[in-house]
Amino acid sequence: MQAALALPILVVPARAGAAEVGEVGIAVLGYKERGLIKVTEPIIWAKGRFAEVWEVSGSVAVDIVSGASPQLVSNATGQPMQTITGASVTDRRKIWDAKVSRRFDDTTLAASRNVSREEDYLSHAFGIEVRHDFNQRNTTLVAGYGRSNDRIRSSDDPLLDEGRDTREYMVGLVQVLSPVAVVQSTLVATRGEGWYNDPYKQTLTFYPSGSPPFAFSGDLRPSSRDTVAWLTRYRRHFPGSAGTLHADYRYFHDDWGIRAHTLEVGWVQSFGARWSLRPALRYYTQTAADFYSPLVPRPQPALISSDQRLAAFGGLSPSLKATLRLESGTTFEATAGYVYNSRSMRVGGEGSPAFQPLRAYYGVVSIVHEF
Amino acid sequence: MKALALTLLIAVTGCANVAPYQRAHLARPDMAFESNLGVAKAMEKTFPAKEGASGGASVGGGGCGCN
Repeated sequence: MQAALALPILVVPARAGAAEVGEVGIAVLGYKERGLIKVTEPIIWAKGRFAEVWEVSGSVAVDIVSGASPQLVSNATGQPMQTITGASVTDRRKIWDAKVSRRFDDTTLAASRNVSREEDYLSHAFGIEVRHDFNQRNTTLVAGYGRSNDRIRSSDDPLLDEGRDTREYMVGLVQVLSPVAVVQSTLVATRGEGWYNDPYKQTLTFYPSGSPPFAFSGDLRPSSRDTVAWLTRYRRHFPGSAGTLHADYRYFHDDWGIRAHTLEVGWVQSFGARWSLRPALRYYTQTAADFYSPLVPRPQPALISSDQRLAAFGGLSPSLKATLRLESGTTFEATAGYVYNSRSMRVGGEGSPAFQPLRAYYGVVSIVHEF
Repeated sequence: MKALALTLLIAVTGCANVAPYQRAHLARPDMAFESNLGVAKAMEKTFPAKEGASGGASVGGGGCGCN
């Protein structure tokens, strides 16, 4: 349950006009939070096209997670603070996925399967997708449906074995705007029902007066969640400067009260035919969930969570990617990034006072060979 | 949200058709919406594991504990 990665399967057309027969690749992600968890994830994948119209892809990954995760929010020292309880954890998450698609002239059908297994979390998901090109392939419409069935368990509570069912609906558009510009916009709505409580999050509050003198609460969330995420991505190449602009924006809202905006801007600068650098900056801001509270109110409400991922905060993340492409078809890539989340980074006002800053570093290296 | 929809609508309706022979720049690797398959998968939960929002690009990905 400590893992920090999952796999999407149905990704809308990633590159307009690209043609490739296949590829194999390996990537390794390293992620480290200051004072908290560390994640290492190796991934291998392969993709191939057969008989002109079939495409098959698959990947296998393992998350290796170690370190400590905040479990308790308490005001024992005066102000509500995250407390790391229990021993350092070590967990492994194994993920595999497969996807097959077939093209019929301008229409492509795809089906996918994804399994993620942890000691205390099991997820099975599938997806189907239809994609239609028209307007001389300047426009692509995409529609998708996905469903995941999760089992939530706890290494602290052997009796916990709950389920959650999520349905996902997607519509999208890819539009060529000019010989150097393309935009993609996708809307994904989800409807989930089942167990959302985090078995590893608790809240302990001491009161200055009254009786009882303290209250303890587990993580109590609604039994359903509806979300909408609207992602728009823009790419524009500037031949004169050998550079490409990347601009991504996502609006998110759910019926828990969270409204979030994510903006990422990157610039790919080529140096000759082989080398390129991509500096990028990502900004994120969100409002708090209606039931987020770092203190247990009196009287105790039916829903309460002190998980600071549900608090109001913002974050800034710079990153730098270096790419080397060889004529043999092999590409080496290395990315380094930094994550800083804090209450003061929230746009439109101060975030939740109890939010404790998150500082994390990550790096990804990959080798891909196209054939 | 409405402004975004309007911008998108103008962008889509205002664009000219681009013939296949004009698409050399569009086929550049740096015009891709995703990094390579493995990096895209690796990064998919790196931010959502620490934020309240997630998704937007795909369906059928499944979940994780993500503490």
